[in-house]
Amino acid sequence: MTKLLTPPTLLTRILLATVMLAAVMLACSLLGTEHISLKKALEPSHPGVVNPDYEIFFRVRGPRIILAAIVGAALACSGAVLQALLRNPLADPYILGISSGAGLGAIIAITIFSRLNWMLWGRSPIAFFAFVGALATAGLVWTVARLTGKSQVTHLLLAGVVVNAFFSAMIMFLTSIANSSQVQRTIFWLMGNIIEEDPLVLWTSGGFVLAGIFALFFISPQLNALSFSEVDAKAMGINTAATQTVAFVLAALITAVAVSLSGLVGFAGLIVPHGVRLVFGPDHRQLLPLSALIGAGFLVAADTLARIVVAPAQLPVGVVTALIGGPFFLVLLVRYSRRIDWLAK
Amino acid sequence: MNIIEAKNLTFSYTDKPLLADLTFSVPAGSFVAIAGPNGVGKTTLLNLLSALLKTQSGSIILDGKGIRSFSAAMLARKIAVVRQEFIPPFGFSVIQTVLMARTPYYNRLGFETPADKEIAAGALKATDIADLAERQLAQISGGERQRVFIARALAQKTPILLLDEPTSFLDLRHQVKIYDLLKKMQIEEKKTVIAITHDINLAAQYCDNVLLLAQDARYYQGTPNDVFSTETIGKVYGIGGFSGAVRTQKFFLPLGKYARDYRVIRHTSACENKT
Repeated sequence: MTKLLTPPTLLTRILLATVMLAAVMLACSLLGTEHISLKKALEPSHPGVVNPDYEIFFRVRGPRIILAAIVGAALACSGAVLQALLRNPLADPYILGISSGAGLGAIIAITIFSRLNWMLWGRSPIAFFAFVGALATAGLVWTVARLTGKSQVTHLLLAGVVVNAFFSAMIMFLTSIANSSQVQRTIFWLMGNIIEEDPLVLWTSGGFVLAGIFALFFISPQLNALSFSEVDAKAMGINTAATQTVAFVLAALITAVAVSLSGLVGFAGLIVPHGVRLVFGPDHRQLLPLSALIGAGFLVAADTLARIVVAPAQLPVGVVTALIGGPFFLVLLVRYSRRIDWLAK
Repeated sequence: MNIIEAKNLTFSYTDKPLLADLTFSVPAGSFVAIAGPNGVGKTTLLNLLSALLKTQSGSIILDGKGIRSFSAAMLARKIAVVRQEFIPPFGFSVIQTVLMARTPYYNRLGFETPADKEIAAGALKATDIADLAERQLAQISGGERQRVFIARALAQKTPILLLDEPTSFLDLRHQVKIYDLLKKMQIEEKKTVIAITHDINLAAQYCDNVLLLAQDARYYQGTPNDVFSTETIGKVYGIGGFSGAVRTQKFFLPLGKYARDYRVIRHTSACENKT
């Protein structure tokens, strides 16, 4: 009975992870092609005298690092939730078609609307279209799975796979008729790319993702039972349908936010929950908040690597996460495929 | 008093009814075995009794009220279900698994109350797995895992326990341990125990009543000695075998035609082989 999670233990771990995340973010903001000093960066620019350290720290790296943290937290947390919902340790936030839906939205924005020079509230329409595409696809997959009846997990996966394949074909079609600059923008987007965003976007999306993660925490005991077995959870008096719907909607929403801001950053949503589970165990009350915090730190670090390895050029962050995540995923696959039993009820 | 009364239950997945006009009752505090060949609807009946499936016609009265009037949460206070054991996809420990049964009673932050922990500890003790509390389910044996699932059902603190083949895949010692445990729960905690089983000999030794489901939606019910007659078993399962009595209870040993003692049953014609 000693190792059970208690609120004080959880709070301590969350605080420690938050401090570590802050440290990683601070350290990463000092790294880059331009060396800046923290002391100088904290002195604001005076009118007429530009303080380059301040400008870089607060206007270039700061927003980018905060965005990476938001995206990382959202992907890792929704990855953990989808793994629980599908009872599959190999699931990730994109498994139900969100990625291809967002990709399709983005490429439509890039190829069709950028040709018309169309702007949305003074911004490029890519993020908006990706967001709408992601949510529409998630809704479609969910509805199809509901319509097919009982065995929801299998049907969710199947519907996700089919929708993914179909939308990927449409992405390829649109790519094949696009011009070369559009193709390059599309490829960067599909690989996942974090750029500087303005504060308004950061605040709204950050608030949104934080609220989503916070809400998910309150269904985490139910997710524990659900990740174990759906019929058992029902027999224990848990409203499984409501839990599944809330979990799916929240996970889809925060994934859609992340994807619309950064494109398809791969693997963060898969390997972070796994790492956390290996160290701290499968209890979702702990897994969700810690995955979010560690996912944020992971993506901040990965994006910093993407900024500096080929400086002054930059890699899309998705390349870095895939290079780290790919081999990790294969190890997982070998380890789990022998005893994975996600079709068990 | 009957805690469960099923009247005229009919259920079908296809045109042919699987269960037809099934009427039986379960006295409170009794131990009932549901037996029968594969595919006659034992698990379907269990799913009906646990409201996982909706009754198509007929009714199930649970504790005086129609089962359809129970919400999932209310039903979980009456009936705990133990399905066949399995290894979950994530590495939950024994104590975490047992505490899941208390999920609807957690405090507002989503944590176990001291009462929940006490109940879980009691369930571990009753099932004799307290020393396994911190082990993961993948790291213990099938028999131990079955006890974990029973412990979780006990932690639900329900008057009724519903079990789906609790002893399949278990060795002789563990089979007997599970039945002893269930009998103990019946005697000490006054629980009503309903178990699907293929082991009619153990059922005969432990259960008060038997519901034997047969092909074509026929069924037999009564005490084990009444229901488990050689003729009935031979007819329902379509096999022959050697039958006798241990002391007060009957036993039945199925024998196929290549079995060494097949001749014995042919000569004594203890049972006519129908296959």
